[in-house]
Amino acid sequence: MELKRRGFLGVALVGASVLAAPAVLGSGRPRVVVVGGGSGGATAARHLAMQSGGAIDVTLVEPSRTYYTCYFSNLALGGVWSFDDLGHSYANLAAVHGINVVHDWAVGVDRDARTVTLAGGGVLPWDRLVLSPGIDFVDGAVPGWDVAAQGRMPHAYKGGTQAALLAAQVEGMREGGVFAMVAPPNPYRCPPGPYERISMVAHVLTQRNPTAKILLVDPKESFSKQALFEEGWQRHYPGMIERIDPLFGADNVSVDPEAMTVDIDGVIEQVDVCNVIPAQKAGRIAEVAGLTNDAGWVPVDPHTMKARADEAVFVLGDASQQGDMPKSGYSANSQAKVAVNVIRHELLDTRLFPARYSNTCWSLIAPDDGVKVGAAYDATDEKIATRDSFISQTGEDTDLRAATFAESIGWYRGITADMFG
Amino acid sequence: MMAILAATAQGGAMAGDVEWGAYLAAECTTCHRRDGSADGIPAITGWPEAGFVAALRAYRGGARSSQTMQTVARGLDDGDIAALAAYFATYPPAAD
Repeated sequence: MELKRRGFLGVALVGASVLAAPAVLGSGRPRVVVVGGGSGGATAARHLAMQSGGAIDVTLVEPSRTYYTCYFSNLALGGVWSFDDLGHSYANLAAVHGINVVHDWAVGVDRDARTVTLAGGGVLPWDRLVLSPGIDFVDGAVPGWDVAAQGRMPHAYKGGTQAALLAAQVEGMREGGVFAMVAPPNPYRCPPGPYERISMVAHVLTQRNPTAKILLVDPKESFSKQALFEEGWQRHYPGMIERIDPLFGADNVSVDPEAMTVDIDGVIEQVDVCNVIPAQKAGRIAEVAGLTNDAGWVPVDPHTMKARADEAVFVLGDASQQGDMPKSGYSANSQAKVAVNVIRHELLDTRLFPARYSNTCWSLIAPDDGVKVGAAYDATDEKIATRDSFISQTGEDTDLRAATFAESIGWYRGITADMFG
Repeated sequence: MMAILAATAQGGAMAGDVEWGAYLAAECTTCHRRDGSADGIPAITGWPEAGFVAALRAYRGGARSSQTMQTVARGLDDGDIAALAAYFATYPPAAD
Protein backbone atom coordinates (compact mmCIF):
# COMPACT_ATOMS: atom_id res chain seq x y z
CA MET A 1 0.00 0.00 0.00
CA GLU A 2 2.86 2.33 0.76
CA LEU A 3 4.36 1.53 -2.61
CA LYS A 4 1.10 2.41 -4.34
CA ARG A 5 0.81 5.78 -2.58
CA ARG A 6 4.36 6.66 -3.47
CA GLY A 7 3.52 5.74 -7.04
CA PHE A 8 0.61 8.14 -7.09
CA LEU A 9 2.77 11.05 -5.99
CA GLY A 10 4.95 10.55 -9.03
CA VAL A 11 2.22 11.43 -11.50
CA ALA A 12 3.26 14.99 -12.28
CA LEU A 13 6.73 13.91 -13.29
CA VAL A 14 5.78 11.32 -15.84
CA GLY A 15 5.18 13.48 -18.89
CA ALA A 16 8.51 15.22 -18.56
CA SER A 17 10.58 12.21 -17.68
CA VAL A 18 9.52 10.21 -20.72
CA LEU A 19 11.02 12.90 -22.92
CA ALA A 20 14.13 13.40 -20.84
CA ALA A 21 17.28 11.41 -21.55
CA PRO A 22 17.86 8.74 -18.90
CA ALA A 23 20.72 10.36 -17.09
CA VAL A 24 21.79 7.31 -15.10
CA LEU A 25 22.60 5.25 -18.13
CA GLY A 26 24.66 7.64 -20.18
CA SER A 27 23.95 8.62 -23.74
CA GLY A 28 21.45 7.02 -26.07
CA ARG A 29 18.27 5.13 -25.40
CA PRO A 30 18.42 2.54 -22.63
CA ARG A 31 18.61 -0.97 -23.99
CA VAL A 32 16.54 -3.96 -22.94
CA VAL A 33 17.28 -7.41 -24.33
CA VAL A 34 14.54 -10.01 -24.02
CA VAL A 35 15.54 -13.66 -24.48
CA GLY A 36 12.68 -15.96 -25.45
CA GLY A 37 9.66 -14.98 -27.55
CA GLY A 38 6.91 -16.89 -25.77
CA SER A 39 4.20 -15.78 -23.37
CA GLY A 40 6.60 -13.98 -21.02
CA GLY A 41 9.13 -12.63 -23.50
CA ALA A 42 6.82 -11.54 -26.33
CA THR A 43 4.50 -9.82 -23.83
CA ALA A 44 7.42 -8.05 -22.15
CA ALA A 45 8.93 -6.89 -25.45
CA ARG A 46 5.61 -5.69 -26.86
CA HIS A 47 4.46 -3.87 -23.73
CA LEU A 48 7.88 -2.29 -23.17
CA ALA A 49 7.88 -0.98 -26.73
CA MET A 50 4.24 0.18 -26.63
CA GLN A 51 4.39 1.81 -23.23
CA SER A 52 7.75 3.52 -23.72
CA GLY A 53 6.80 5.06 -27.05
CA GLY A 54 10.21 4.35 -28.51
CA ALA A 55 12.17 5.66 -25.51
CA ILE A 56 13.56 2.17 -24.83
CA ASP A 57 15.55 0.19 -27.39
CA VAL A 58 13.99 -3.30 -27.23
CA THR A 59 15.62 -6.38 -28.75
CA LEU A 60 13.86 -9.76 -28.73
CA VAL A 61 16.00 -12.86 -29.22
CA GLU A 62 14.03 -15.91 -30.36
CA PRO A 63 15.27 -18.69 -32.64
CA SER A 64 11.86 -19.56 -34.15
CA ARG A 65 10.40 -17.43 -36.92
CA THR A 66 6.93 -18.68 -36.10
CA TYR A 67 5.93 -19.26 -32.49
CA TYR A 68 3.71 -22.27 -31.86
CA THR A 69 1.84 -22.09 -28.59
CA CYS A 70 1.91 -25.13 -26.32
CA TYR A 71 -1.50 -24.13 -25.06
CA PHE A 72 -4.30 -25.33 -27.33
CA SER A 73 -1.93 -27.93 -28.89
CA ASN A 74 -3.88 -30.59 -26.99
CA LEU A 75 -7.03 -29.28 -28.64
CA ALA A 76 -5.36 -29.61 -32.04
CA LEU A 77 -4.42 -33.16 -31.09
CA GLY A 78 -8.09 -33.76 -30.31
CA GLY A 79 -9.22 -32.30 -33.63
CA VAL A 80 -11.13 -29.39 -32.07
CA TRP A 81 -8.49 -26.78 -33.01
CA SER A 82 -6.18 -26.49 -36.01
CA PHE A 83 -2.41 -26.96 -35.80
CA ASP A 84 -2.02 -24.00 -38.19
CA ASP A 85 -3.90 -21.77 -35.74
CA LEU A 86 -1.25 -22.43 -33.08
CA GLY A 87 1.36 -20.51 -35.09
CA HIS A 88 2.04 -16.78 -34.58
CA SER A 89 4.35 -14.42 -36.45
CA TYR A 90 6.75 -11.87 -34.94
CA ALA A 91 6.11 -9.50 -37.88
CA ASN A 92 3.98 -7.01 -35.92
CA LEU A 93 6.48 -6.82 -33.08
CA ALA A 94 9.09 -5.64 -35.57
CA ALA A 95 6.97 -3.63 -38.02
CA VAL A 96 4.33 -2.08 -35.74
CA HIS A 97 6.18 -1.81 -32.44
CA GLY A 98 9.75 -1.19 -33.63
CA ILE A 99 11.22 -4.13 -31.72
CA ASN A 100 14.53 -5.47 -33.01
CA VAL A 101 13.55 -9.13 -33.49
CA VAL A 102 16.66 -11.31 -33.76
CA HIS A 103 16.11 -14.91 -34.83
CA ASP A 104 19.07 -16.57 -33.15
CA TRP A 105 19.92 -18.57 -30.03
CA ALA A 106 21.23 -16.76 -26.98
CA VAL A 107 24.16 -18.91 -25.86
CA GLY A 108 25.94 -16.72 -23.32
CA VAL A 109 25.18 -14.07 -20.72
CA ASP A 110 27.92 -11.91 -19.21
CA ARG A 111 26.28 -10.24 -16.21
CA ASP A 112 29.34 -8.09 -15.42
CA ALA A 113 29.78 -6.73 -18.93
CA ARG A 114 25.96 -6.78 -19.38
CA THR A 115 25.93 -8.56 -22.72
CA VAL A 116 24.20 -11.50 -24.36
CA THR A 117 26.14 -13.58 -26.88
CA LEU A 118 24.32 -15.17 -29.81
CA ALA A 119 25.05 -18.52 -31.49
CA GLY A 120 25.61 -16.57 -34.70
CA GLY A 121 28.43 -14.64 -33.02
CA GLY A 122 26.63 -11.35 -32.31
CA VAL A 123 26.94 -9.60 -28.95
CA LEU A 124 24.00 -7.60 -27.57
CA PRO A 125 24.62 -5.04 -24.81
CA TRP A 126 21.83 -4.33 -22.32
CA ASP A 127 20.91 -2.12 -19.41
CA ARG A 128 18.21 -4.55 -18.31
CA LEU A 129 17.92 -8.19 -19.34
CA VAL A 130 14.70 -10.22 -19.44
CA LEU A 131 15.03 -14.00 -19.59
CA SER A 132 11.91 -15.95 -20.46
CA PRO A 133 13.38 -19.21 -21.76
CA GLY A 134 10.64 -21.62 -20.71
CA ILE A 135 11.63 -25.14 -19.74
CA ASP A 136 14.19 -27.78 -20.54
CA PHE A 137 14.03 -31.43 -19.56
CA VAL A 138 16.11 -32.90 -16.74
CA ASP A 139 18.63 -35.33 -18.25
CA GLY A 140 17.98 -38.94 -17.26
CA ALA A 141 14.65 -38.11 -15.60
CA VAL A 142 12.99 -41.06 -17.35
CA PRO A 143 15.69 -43.74 -17.79
CA GLY A 144 15.87 -44.91 -21.39
CA TRP A 145 14.53 -41.64 -22.80
CA ASP A 146 16.50 -38.68 -24.14
CA VAL A 147 15.82 -36.10 -26.82
CA ALA A 148 17.28 -38.47 -29.45
CA ALA A 149 14.24 -40.68 -28.75
CA GLN A 150 11.67 -37.91 -29.18
CA GLY A 151 10.78 -39.15 -32.67
CA ARG A 152 9.66 -42.54 -31.33
CA MET A 153 8.43 -41.30 -27.97
CA PRO A 154 7.44 -37.64 -28.37
CA HIS A 155 7.28 -35.26 -25.42
CA ALA A 156 5.10 -32.77 -27.32
CA TYR A 157 5.62 -30.35 -24.45
CA LYS A 158 7.51 -27.45 -26.03
CA GLY A 159 5.29 -26.46 -28.94
CA GLY A 160 6.60 -26.86 -32.48
CA THR A 161 6.31 -30.06 -34.50
CA GLN A 162 6.11 -32.53 -31.61
CA ALA A 163 2.37 -32.15 -31.02
CA ALA A 164 1.61 -32.86 -34.69
CA LEU A 165 3.89 -35.90 -34.54
CA LEU A 166 2.05 -37.22 -31.51
CA ALA A 167 -1.28 -36.62 -33.26
CA ALA A 168 -0.08 -38.60 -36.28
CA GLN A 169 1.02 -41.47 -34.05
CA VAL A 170 -2.37 -41.56 -32.31
CA GLU A 171 -4.08 -41.57 -35.70
CA GLY A 172 -1.87 -44.46 -36.87
CA MET A 173 -2.43 -46.65 -33.79
CA ARG A 174 -3.47 -50.21 -34.47
CA GLU A 175 -7.00 -51.19 -33.57
CA GLY A 176 -7.23 -51.87 -29.86
CA GLY A 177 -3.68 -50.54 -29.29
CA VAL A 178 -2.27 -48.88 -26.17
CA PHE A 179 -1.43 -45.19 -25.76
CA ALA A 180 0.87 -44.59 -22.80
CA MET A 181 1.84 -41.35 -21.13
CA VAL A 182 4.64 -40.98 -18.63
CA ALA A 183 3.52 -37.84 -16.73
CA PRO A 184 6.02 -35.48 -15.08
CA PRO A 185 6.67 -34.91 -11.37
CA ASN A 186 6.02 -31.45 -9.85
CA PRO A 187 6.83 -28.71 -10.63
CA TYR A 188 6.27 -28.59 -14.36
CA ARG A 189 4.79 -26.43 -17.12
CA CYS A 190 0.98 -26.34 -17.38
CA PRO A 191 -0.21 -28.48 -14.45
CA PRO A 192 -3.48 -29.64 -16.10
CA GLY A 193 -1.76 -30.10 -19.51
CA PRO A 194 -1.00 -33.84 -19.32
CA TYR A 195 -4.58 -34.58 -18.22
CA GLU A 196 -6.15 -32.42 -20.90
CA ARG A 197 -3.97 -34.34 -23.35
CA ILE A 198 -5.23 -37.66 -22.00
CA SER A 199 -8.77 -36.29 -22.49
CA MET A 200 -8.16 -35.26 -26.08
CA VAL A 201 -6.44 -38.55 -26.99
CA ALA A 202 -9.39 -40.37 -25.45
CA HIS A 203 -11.75 -38.25 -27.53
CA VAL A 204 -9.93 -39.17 -30.75
CA LEU A 205 -9.70 -42.85 -29.86
CA THR A 206 -13.39 -43.02 -28.86
CA GLN A 207 -14.25 -41.80 -32.37
CA ARG A 208 -11.72 -43.83 -34.39
CA ASN A 209 -10.45 -46.68 -32.32
CA PRO A 210 -12.89 -47.33 -29.48
CA THR A 211 -11.27 -50.56 -28.25
CA ALA A 212 -7.92 -48.81 -27.70
CA LYS A 213 -6.65 -48.25 -24.15
CA ILE A 214 -4.87 -45.36 -22.44
CA LEU A 215 -2.28 -46.00 -19.75
CA LEU A 216 -1.40 -42.96 -17.65
CA VAL A 217 1.74 -43.55 -15.61
CA ASP A 218 1.85 -40.76 -13.05
CA PRO A 219 4.57 -40.26 -10.43
CA LYS A 220 2.30 -37.89 -8.45
CA GLU A 221 -0.26 -38.93 -5.87
CA SER A 222 -2.70 -36.27 -7.06
CA PHE A 223 -2.96 -33.79 -9.93
CA SER A 224 -4.53 -30.53 -11.07
CA LYS A 225 -8.34 -30.53 -11.45
CA GLN A 226 -8.29 -34.23 -10.61
CA ALA A 227 -11.94 -34.52 -9.56
CA LEU A 228 -13.06 -32.72 -12.72
CA PHE A 229 -10.96 -34.84 -15.06
CA GLU A 230 -11.87 -38.13 -13.39
CA GLU A 231 -15.56 -37.30 -13.48
CA GLY A 232 -15.26 -36.35 -17.16
CA TRP A 233 -13.27 -39.44 -18.09
CA GLN A 234 -15.89 -41.63 -16.45
CA ARG A 235 -18.66 -39.83 -18.29
CA HIS A 236 -17.14 -39.47 -21.76
CA TYR A 237 -14.65 -42.33 -22.01
CA PRO A 238 -15.76 -45.09 -19.59
CA GLY A 239 -13.26 -47.92 -19.22
CA MET A 240 -10.68 -46.46 -21.59
CA ILE A 241 -8.24 -44.73 -19.20
CA GLU A 242 -6.19 -46.47 -16.54
CA ARG A 243 -4.07 -44.30 -14.23
CA ILE A 244 -1.19 -45.88 -12.35
CA ASP A 245 -0.06 -43.81 -9.36
CA PRO A 246 3.02 -44.07 -7.10
CA LEU A 247 1.32 -46.65 -4.87
CA PHE A 248 1.56 -48.99 -7.84
CA GLY A 249 5.11 -48.11 -8.80
CA ALA A 250 4.57 -45.14 -11.13
CA ASP A 251 7.48 -43.30 -9.49
CA ASN A 252 9.86 -46.03 -10.72
CA VAL A 253 9.51 -45.94 -14.50
CA SER A 254 11.85 -46.46 -17.43
CA VAL A 255 11.19 -46.79 -21.15
CA ASP A 256 12.74 -48.57 -24.13
CA PRO A 257 12.00 -46.53 -27.24
CA GLU A 258 13.29 -49.23 -29.62
CA ALA A 259 11.16 -51.99 -28.13
CA MET A 260 8.28 -49.58 -27.37
CA THR A 261 7.98 -50.80 -23.83
CA VAL A 262 7.38 -49.08 -20.51
CA ASP A 263 8.80 -50.65 -17.35
CA ILE A 264 6.64 -49.75 -14.34
CA ASP A 265 8.40 -50.93 -11.21
CA GLY A 266 9.45 -54.16 -12.96
CA VAL A 267 6.23 -54.77 -14.87
CA ILE A 268 6.85 -54.45 -18.62
CA GLU A 269 4.03 -52.97 -20.71
CA GLN A 270 4.14 -53.21 -24.52
CA VAL A 271 2.64 -50.00 -25.96
CA ASP A 272 1.90 -48.57 -29.40
CA VAL A 273 2.33 -44.85 -28.71
CA CYS A 274 4.30 -43.45 -25.79
CA ASN A 275 4.22 -39.80 -24.76
CA VAL A 276 7.08 -39.13 -22.33
CA ILE A 277 6.88 -35.82 -20.45
CA PRO A 278 10.08 -35.73 -18.37
CA ALA A 279 10.87 -33.77 -15.22
CA GLN A 280 11.67 -30.15 -15.98
CA LYS A 281 13.99 -27.27 -15.14
CA ALA A 282 14.49 -23.69 -16.34
CA GLY A 283 15.49 -23.20 -19.98
CA ARG A 284 19.22 -23.60 -20.46
CA ILE A 285 20.16 -19.92 -20.81
CA ALA A 286 19.05 -19.33 -17.19
CA GLU A 287 21.60 -21.88 -16.02
CA VAL A 288 24.25 -20.48 -18.37
CA ALA A 289 23.62 -17.07 -16.80
CA GLY A 290 24.35 -18.56 -13.38
CA LEU A 291 20.91 -17.75 -11.97
CA THR A 292 19.46 -21.19 -11.20
CA ASN A 293 19.26 -22.95 -7.83
CA ASP A 294 19.91 -26.63 -7.08
CA ALA A 295 16.40 -27.51 -8.25
CA GLY A 296 17.14 -25.94 -11.65
CA TRP A 297 14.82 -22.91 -11.37
CA VAL A 298 15.53 -19.21 -10.94
CA PRO A 299 14.41 -17.75 -7.58
CA VAL A 300 12.89 -14.30 -8.19
CA ASP A 301 11.82 -11.29 -6.12
CA PRO A 302 7.99 -11.48 -5.99
CA HIS A 303 7.66 -7.67 -6.09
CA THR A 304 9.58 -7.25 -9.34
CA MET A 305 10.32 -10.61 -11.06
CA LYS A 306 14.04 -9.80 -10.75
CA ALA A 307 16.36 -12.74 -10.27
CA ARG A 308 17.34 -12.89 -6.59
CA ALA A 309 20.95 -13.12 -7.77
CA ASP A 310 20.97 -10.05 -10.08
CA GLU A 311 18.98 -6.81 -9.84
CA ALA A 312 19.40 -6.08 -13.55
CA VAL A 313 17.98 -9.39 -14.76
CA PHE A 314 14.26 -10.24 -14.81
CA VAL A 315 13.18 -13.86 -15.17
CA LEU A 316 9.63 -14.61 -16.29
CA GLY A 317 7.33 -17.55 -16.63
CA ASP A 318 8.12 -21.24 -16.34
CA ALA A 319 11.83 -20.68 -15.63
CA SER A 320 11.15 -18.67 -12.48
CA GLN A 321 10.58 -19.97 -8.97
CA GLN A 322 8.18 -17.43 -7.54
CA GLY A 323 5.73 -19.11 -5.19
CA ASP A 324 2.08 -19.97 -5.76
CA MET A 325 1.55 -19.25 -9.46
CA PRO A 326 1.43 -22.29 -11.75
CA LYS A 327 3.86 -22.43 -14.65
CA SER A 328 1.49 -21.29 -17.38
CA GLY A 329 1.42 -18.96 -20.37
CA TYR A 330 -1.10 -16.79 -18.57
CA SER A 331 1.20 -16.53 -15.52
CA ALA A 332 4.15 -15.57 -17.72
CA ASN A 333 2.05 -12.89 -19.45
CA SER A 334 0.96 -11.52 -16.07
CA GLN A 335 4.50 -11.53 -14.68
CA ALA A 336 5.78 -9.74 -17.80
CA LYS A 337 3.51 -6.77 -17.09
CA VAL A 338 4.87 -6.38 -13.58
CA ALA A 339 8.44 -6.55 -14.90
CA VAL A 340 7.64 -3.97 -17.59
CA ASN A 341 6.32 -1.54 -14.98
CA VAL A 342 9.53 -1.92 -12.94
CA ILE A 343 11.82 -1.64 -15.98
CA ARG A 344 10.07 1.52 -17.20
CA HIS A 345 10.33 3.00 -13.73
CA GLU A 346 14.04 2.28 -13.51
CA LEU A 347 14.95 3.40 -17.04
CA LEU A 348 12.45 6.20 -17.65
CA ASP A 349 11.41 7.23 -14.13
CA THR A 350 7.73 6.45 -14.75
CA ARG A 351 5.42 5.61 -11.85
CA LEU A 352 6.07 2.41 -9.98
CA PHE A 353 2.96 0.44 -9.10
CA PRO A 354 2.65 -2.53 -6.71
CA ALA A 355 2.87 -5.97 -8.26
CA ARG A 356 -0.43 -7.72 -9.05
CA TYR A 357 -0.67 -11.06 -10.73
CA SER A 358 -3.41 -13.31 -12.05
CA ASN A 359 -3.81 -16.63 -13.78
CA THR A 360 -6.50 -18.87 -15.20
CA CYS A 361 -5.92 -22.32 -16.70
CA TRP A 362 -8.71 -23.65 -18.91
CA SER A 363 -8.82 -27.32 -19.86
CA LEU A 364 -11.00 -29.22 -22.31
CA ILE A 365 -12.23 -32.65 -21.17
CA ALA A 366 -14.36 -33.30 -24.26
CA PRO A 367 -15.71 -31.03 -27.03
CA ASP A 368 -17.72 -28.25 -25.32
CA ASP A 369 -16.85 -29.62 -21.86
CA GLY A 370 -14.48 -26.93 -20.60
CA VAL A 371 -13.28 -26.40 -17.04
CA LYS A 372 -11.02 -23.84 -15.41
CA VAL A 373 -9.01 -23.00 -12.34
CA GLY A 374 -7.75 -19.53 -11.57
CA ALA A 375 -6.45 -17.17 -8.93
CA ALA A 376 -5.38 -13.64 -8.12
CA TYR A 377 -2.04 -13.10 -6.40
CA ASP A 378 -0.13 -10.49 -4.44
CA ALA A 379 3.59 -10.17 -3.83
CA THR A 380 4.95 -10.80 -0.35
CA ASP A 381 8.64 -10.59 0.49
CA GLU A 382 8.77 -14.37 0.56
CA LYS A 383 6.74 -15.37 -2.51
CA ILE A 384 3.95 -14.58 -4.93
CA ALA A 385 1.02 -15.56 -2.76
CA THR A 386 -2.56 -16.51 -3.65
CA ARG A 387 -5.07 -13.82 -2.61
CA ASP A 388 -8.26 -15.36 -4.02
CA SER A 389 -9.06 -18.36 -6.21
CA PHE A 390 -11.77 -20.32 -7.99
CA ILE A 391 -12.24 -23.68 -9.71
CA SER A 392 -14.99 -25.28 -11.82
CA GLN A 393 -17.22 -27.67 -9.92
CA THR A 394 -18.07 -31.30 -10.61
CA GLY A 395 -21.61 -31.81 -11.85
CA GLU A 396 -21.86 -28.47 -13.66
CA ASP A 397 -24.46 -28.36 -16.45
CA THR A 398 -23.48 -28.60 -20.10
CA ASP A 399 -24.34 -24.98 -20.85
CA LEU A 400 -21.85 -23.71 -18.26
CA ARG A 401 -19.18 -26.09 -19.52
CA ALA A 402 -19.76 -24.94 -23.12
CA ALA A 403 -19.54 -21.31 -21.97
CA THR A 404 -16.26 -22.07 -20.19
CA PHE A 405 -14.89 -23.55 -23.41
CA ALA A 406 -16.05 -20.51 -25.39
CA GLU A 407 -14.32 -18.32 -22.80
CA SER A 408 -11.09 -20.26 -23.29
CA ILE A 409 -11.18 -19.51 -27.02
CA GLY A 410 -11.63 -15.83 -26.19
CA TRP A 411 -8.65 -16.05 -23.85
CA TYR A 412 -6.52 -17.69 -26.56
CA ARG A 413 -7.39 -14.93 -29.03
CA GLY A 414 -6.80 -12.33 -26.32
CA ILE A 415 -3.43 -13.47 -25.03
CA THR A 416 -1.98 -14.09 -28.48
CA ALA A 417 -3.11 -10.58 -29.50
CA ASP A 418 -1.54 -9.25 -26.28
CA MET A 419 1.75 -10.96 -27.27
CA PHE A 420 1.90 -10.56 -31.04
CA GLY A 421 -0.76 -7.96 -32.06
CA MET B 1 -4.65 14.26 -23.21
CA MET B 2 -7.58 16.71 -23.30
CA ALA B 3 -9.88 13.88 -24.34
CA ILE B 4 -8.67 11.76 -21.46
CA LEU B 5 -9.26 14.56 -18.97
CA ALA B 6 -12.72 15.24 -20.39
CA ALA B 7 -13.68 11.56 -20.17
CA THR B 8 -12.45 11.39 -16.62
CA ALA B 9 -14.39 14.48 -15.62
CA GLN B 10 -17.62 12.87 -16.83
CA GLY B 11 -17.05 9.92 -14.52
CA GLY B 12 -19.12 11.43 -11.71
CA ALA B 13 -18.34 11.11 -8.04
CA MET B 14 -14.93 9.57 -8.41
CA ALA B 15 -12.53 10.65 -11.14
CA GLY B 16 -10.35 7.74 -12.16
CA ASP B 17 -6.55 7.84 -12.24
CA VAL B 18 -5.99 6.92 -15.89
CA GLU B 19 -2.37 5.92 -15.44
CA TRP B 20 -3.18 3.59 -12.57
CA GLY B 21 -6.05 2.33 -14.75
CA ALA B 22 -3.63 1.65 -17.60
CA TYR B 23 -1.48 -0.48 -15.30
CA LEU B 24 -4.48 -2.37 -13.92
CA ALA B 25 -5.86 -2.79 -17.45
CA ALA B 26 -2.87 -4.87 -18.44
CA GLU B 27 -4.51 -7.65 -16.43
CA CYS B 28 -7.75 -7.28 -18.39
CA THR B 29 -6.13 -7.35 -21.83
CA THR B 30 -4.81 -10.86 -21.42
CA CYS B 31 -8.39 -11.87 -22.25
CA HIS B 32 -10.32 -8.75 -23.35
CA ARG B 33 -8.94 -7.39 -26.58
CA ARG B 34 -7.78 -3.80 -26.84
CA ASP B 35 -9.19 -3.52 -30.36
CA GLY B 36 -12.67 -4.12 -28.94
CA SER B 37 -13.29 -7.35 -30.84
CA ALA B 38 -15.17 -10.02 -28.90
CA ASP B 39 -14.82 -13.75 -29.49
CA GLY B 40 -15.98 -15.78 -26.50
CA ILE B 41 -15.09 -12.92 -24.12
CA PRO B 42 -16.98 -9.59 -24.19
CA ALA B 43 -15.47 -6.29 -25.30
CA ILE B 44 -14.76 -3.82 -22.49
CA THR B 45 -13.55 -0.82 -24.49
CA GLY B 46 -15.58 2.31 -25.05
CA TRP B 47 -18.09 1.73 -22.25
CA PRO B 48 -19.65 4.72 -20.52
CA GLU B 49 -17.79 4.97 -17.23
CA ALA B 50 -20.88 4.64 -15.07
CA GLY B 51 -21.86 1.37 -16.77
CA PHE B 52 -18.36 0.00 -16.42
CA VAL B 53 -18.28 0.85 -12.74
CA ALA B 54 -21.73 -0.69 -12.15
CA ALA B 55 -20.72 -3.92 -13.91
CA LEU B 56 -17.54 -4.40 -11.91
CA ARG B 57 -19.30 -3.59 -8.64
CA ALA B 58 -21.97 -6.17 -9.52
CA TYR B 59 -19.30 -8.81 -10.05
CA ARG B 60 -17.59 -7.80 -6.83
CA GLY B 61 -20.80 -8.14 -4.84
CA GLY B 62 -21.77 -11.39 -6.55
CA ALA B 63 -24.90 -10.02 -8.27
CA ARG B 64 -23.36 -10.86 -11.65
CA SER B 65 -22.07 -14.39 -12.11
CA SER B 66 -18.68 -15.40 -13.54
CA GLN B 67 -16.05 -17.07 -11.39
CA THR B 68 -13.29 -15.29 -13.26
CA MET B 69 -14.78 -11.79 -13.10
CA GLN B 70 -15.88 -12.14 -9.48
CA THR B 71 -12.31 -13.05 -8.54
CA VAL B 72 -10.94 -10.13 -10.53
CA ALA B 73 -13.46 -7.68 -9.08
CA ARG B 74 -12.92 -8.77 -5.48
CA GLY B 75 -9.37 -7.54 -5.91
CA LEU B 76 -10.46 -4.02 -6.92
CA ASP B 77 -11.42 -1.18 -4.59
CA ASP B 78 -13.62 1.71 -5.75
CA GLY B 79 -10.60 3.75 -6.79
CA ASP B 80 -9.28 0.88 -8.86
CA ILE B 81 -12.63 0.45 -10.59
CA ALA B 82 -12.89 4.19 -11.31
CA ALA B 83 -9.36 4.13 -12.74
CA LEU B 84 -10.17 1.22 -15.02
CA ALA B 85 -13.42 2.82 -16.14
CA ALA B 86 -11.60 6.05 -16.95
CA TYR B 87 -8.89 4.20 -18.84
CA PHE B 88 -11.15 1.99 -20.95
CA ALA B 89 -13.50 4.89 -21.72
CA THR B 90 -10.62 6.39 -23.68
CA TYR B 91 -10.88 3.53 -26.19
CA PRO B 92 -13.35 3.71 -29.09
CA PRO B 93 -16.22 1.21 -29.02
CA ALA B 94 -16.13 -1.93 -31.22
CA ALA B 95 -17.08 -1.32 -34.86
CA ASP B 96 -20.15 -3.52 -34.63
